[in-house]
Amino acid sequence: MTTLTLRSVPNGRVDMTGILPETLAGRRTEDIGKQIVHLAGSPLMLDDLFDVTPDETGMLVIRTDSDRLDYLGQGMRTGKLRIDGPAGHYAAQAMTGGEIDIRGDAGEGAANGMKGGLLRIRGNAGDWLGAALIGDRAGMAGGVVAVEGDVGDRLGDRMRRGLILVRGRAGDACGARLLAGTLVVAGGCGSQPGSGLRRGSLILGRRPESLPSSFNDSGRVDLSYLGLLHRHTESLLPGLLPATTHAYRYMGDLAFGGKGEILVLA
Amino acid sequence: MIINGVFIDDTYAEAFGMKATRIVITADNLTWARHAANAAFGFATSVIACGCEAAIECELSPADTPDGRPGVAGLLFAVSTKELAKQLERRVGQCVLTCPTTAVFAGCEGEESLPLGKNLRYFGDGWQMSKLIAGRRYWRIPVMDGEFLAEESTGLLRSVGGGNFLVLARSRGQALAACEAAVDAIARVPGAIAPFPGGVVRSGSKVGSKYKALPASTNDAFCPTLRGVAKTELTPDTDAVLEIVIDAVTDADMRVAMKAGMDAVCGIGAAGGIVRLSAGNYGGKLGQFHYRLREILA
Repeated sequence: MTTLTLRSVPNGRVDMTGILPETLAGRRTEDIGKQIVHLAGSPLMLDDLFDVTPDETGMLVIRTDSDRLDYLGQGMRTGKLRIDGPAGHYAAQAMTGGEIDIRGDAGEGAANGMKGGLLRIRGNAGDWLGAALIGDRAGMAGGVVAVEGDVGDRLGDRMRRGLILVRGRAGDACGARLLAGTLVVAGGCGSQPGSGLRRGSLILGRRPESLPSSFNDSGRVDLSYLGLLHRHTESLLPGLLPATTHAYRYMGDLAFGGKGEILVLA
Repeated sequence: MIINGVFIDDTYAEAFGMKATRIVITADNLTWARHAANAAFGFATSVIACGCEAAIECELSPADTPDGRPGVAGLLFAVSTKELAKQLERRVGQCVLTCPTTAVFAGCEGEESLPLGKNLRYFGDGWQMSKLIAGRRYWRIPVMDGEFLAEESTGLLRSVGGGNFLVLARSRGQALAACEAAVDAIARVPGAIAPFPGGVVRSGSKVGSKYKALPASTNDAFCPTLRGVAKTELTPDTDAVLEIVIDAVTDADMRVAMKAGMDAVCGIGAAGGIVRLSAGNYGGKLGQFHYRLREILA
């Protein structure tokens, strides 16, 4: 489709809202270059910052050495977007469909309010991945996020539905205030995971540093559900989950109904 | 038409449009998957009094099941969507949910869906958990050996039920041996089941009865003990008749299954005591599907 190559590191943050496969599909190179983006709040044309090259890849590719491109893939509904390099903050925010592949790190607030589609992050991600949009009561409500590296604090905060897979480690308050959905963190997490968890599952490959006191030990369990999940995750992040159906189950947060669970794989 | 000494009647099997579904039952090992399936698909020989017709379609290796455990696929057929839904829920609820280590999954897609774990989840008394994986919803229901995992719904298929053929032989033993070979052949056809015990029926029926309360009664024209008194279809050299009834997902599956079964019988042939192949029909006015034996075997 089109490759956008960032010429130099911008002297402020760039709001990339609207630069999506679905909006650029079928448009001429000159028209794409005239698309408006905002640099530090001021409007300018896309070709002021990027080289615009048509190609036959069938996807929108953005090549960048800078992590100052924010809102990449925001509100994306369909198509494929590949970021060759780091993404700024709020990537895939409110995404509802399609596929975004970030071949680098992602900033904070990625997949906030996401409702569908697939977001792959090959590097690390910042805080608030899959959390709520500012002002919203619920976080991510659908779709899949697959992270190869580590993630920051408050992963999946207030998440409502969907699946987040992390091969690395998560920070503190992972799955805090989770309403429902599934978080899988293979590399373990910081303190207070699942604090305020209502329903949903937080699946950890390693025992966390500490658990909130409002979780009760439900012992070692054998869940065929883990076999089903293992098969699904193999297509997204191979080797993320071991082929086991055994886990230690902690139910909570008992201060919020106690219908959620933290599973530490056995 | 005569094949290997077996006379093929110039007649047809009359079959009906039915509603069907396929489910997959998995367990820690194949033994327990079979226990659940045998219970769920037991007492499901005929829609006349069982509510549905059902049987194991095939066994599945761990690589072919959703949760990576061994399992079986089974087909259920009923005359209406409502009855099929009722039978499915009742049978899965009483025979699969109750069976140690099992889980149940949809085995087919359909334009419409039938509840599978959708209502059974309430057995969890509020402790059940929903999981949405790859666009499909599953229910995790706590039970005493861990959890019962059930997919929320399965697909509804528009299918064919009641395909059949009759094996006429010189003795009961020879008829039974031929039918066993036919059932083995049909079992290898995907999308088809023979729902009667061992896949074979001895009590072929005709429509109606001298007793007003009965919608069907014994097919006296094929009963060897009534040859002297009833209007018989049997020649003096025929001492036993057995029937194979087949339900299939599609019309094409039915044809393949009928041909496989009849080929197996004809393979035994007159040397094995087989005299004729015939089929049951109701004059062609009740069923939408007619399977002419000679056309299928041609």
